[in-house]
Amino acid sequence: MFVSRSMVSQVITIDKDATVFEAQEKMAVNGVRHLPIVDADNRLIGIVTDRDIRSAMPYSMLKEKGGSEEREQLAQLKVEAIMIRNPMTLSPMHTIQDALLLIQKKKVGAFPVVDDEGKLIGILSVRDLLRAFTYVLGIGQPGTLVGIEVEEKVGQLKKIVDAITEENISFGSVLVARTWEEGKRAVFPYLLTTNVAKVKRKLAGMGYALIDPMDWHIDKLP
Amino acid sequence: MKKTGYLHDNRYMLHDTGPYHPEMADRLTAIYNGIKDAGLLDQVTLIPAVRADLKWIETVHDTKYINRFGDTCMTGKRTFDYPDNQMCADTYETALLAVGGILDTVRRMMAGEIDNAFCAVRPPGHHAERNQAMGFCYFNNIAIAARYLQMEHGIQRVGIIDFDVHHGNGTQHIFENDPTVFYYSIHQHPSFSFPGTGREFEEGNEDGQGFTKNTPVLPGQGDDIYRKLIESDLLPTFDRFKPEVLLVSTGFDGHSDDDMSDINLSTEGYSWIMETIMKLGNQYTAGRVISILEGGYCLERLGELAANHVRILFNG
Repeated sequence: MFVSRSMVSQVITIDKDATVFEAQEKMAVNGVRHLPIVDADNRLIGIVTDRDIRSAMPYSMLKEKGGSEEREQLAQLKVEAIMIRNPMTLSPMHTIQDALLLIQKKKVGAFPVVDDEGKLIGILSVRDLLRAFTYVLGIGQPGTLVGIEVEEKVGQLKKIVDAITEENISFGSVLVARTWEEGKRAVFPYLLTTNVAKVKRKLAGMGYALIDPMDWHIDKLP
Repeated sequence: MKKTGYLHDNRYMLHDTGPYHPEMADRLTAIYNGIKDAGLLDQVTLIPAVRADLKWIETVHDTKYINRFGDTCMTGKRTFDYPDNQMCADTYETALLAVGGILDTVRRMMAGEIDNAFCAVRPPGHHAERNQAMGFCYFNNIAIAARYLQMEHGIQRVGIIDFDVHHGNGTQHIFENDPTVFYYSIHQHPSFSFPGTGREFEEGNEDGQGFTKNTPVLPGQGDDIYRKLIESDLLPTFDRFKPEVLLVSTGFDGHSDDDMSDINLSTEGYSWIMETIMKLGNQYTAGRVISILEGGYCLERLGELAANHVRILFNG
């Protein structure tokens, strides 16, 4: 679960002396929204985002890409002038949970990843985190999600897992929703099978309530 | 009245999935009895299975995969690729008979012997990908039939309609870059159902962009929503595509009494779907419609559903 395993290591960077147009072009060509800026020793000195570039442009320029005076002035503008200096970074030994919480807290779209010497070794974006969690959910594999309501007491999950395992069914993932009803939890096993009818009957026979799919949720909005 | 073929062969029951498996041989008995009890057996042309020439299977599956399947079966293993795919020593041969029977049925239709047909085969096919067995499926029967139509009978545009309650990931995967075969599927929403694909934004890739269409349906929905979505999604799409032949992946597992899904189609709802497909066929394919069995596991319902299905084919 370390950032080093989920980050993109082939980072697209830009020189501080490049123009904002060059930065814009580089983002478009590579399909990225963040360009770290490094010095000659690969030390991170800043980052520029597509939003920074848009903010630097007058509204008229966004509307029409004409060869106006403003455009000529802007063509002189260097990345160094608009970049965020000393941006927030992650270390490769941060976990993806750290990254998830930090991205929510700081409201940024990506973190450069630097080593102990401050050298750029990767970048981790919201997109990379989503990929990691898609993988955690197991939804890239064929399977069926089942929703089970259980009493909030120790040992429930074991019984459910045992009952499913006895049917020789593998798990893609198991989610537990904590914010369910008072005294209850919801367990969502993602089963790597199409054949869930029998195991559903079995769980119902054990006294578990199967949750109507239209009532499934894993979080509650604040 | 049309000349309707009914592909049925007791050898399709040799594929033994073991105890407690929903995709069982009894399904075909229930279907046969339903068609017989409805007095339709005398009205249709019974077609027996024949073994497929491997060259047709190789139009869809890699030779390596075909051999791996055959070899696994020979060694006496009970599962292939996933534990869902329970099998026996006869499974490989049965799968060859399923493909061969379907291709022979297609041949008869193209030769004018029959107008349309229902192919009650096992094992089913729409989950099988080029190199991957999945969800009770080994060879993708319908995909091979589409390639056969194109290569042997010069058909350019094949329309596939899949109303099994599960998404036909295999069929989609095989044709997703191909603009000559349109894959349309309506199924229970993938967040609530196997195999987890078939979202509305899966629309094909590269040259095949726009030649795949998926209609996911939320749990608990039934006839009304199916009617609305088929009218809004399928009909205009095929009006534009203008298929020359329709192939149908028929699954009865969206019936309200079938516990493989949370979709609540009624028996009448199923009839409406097939009648609508026949209208599409009469409009664009000169009534050339080949229906191929996929899922449907409620033994108490399969008879009436299959009988209605065949009657609709017969009435044209």
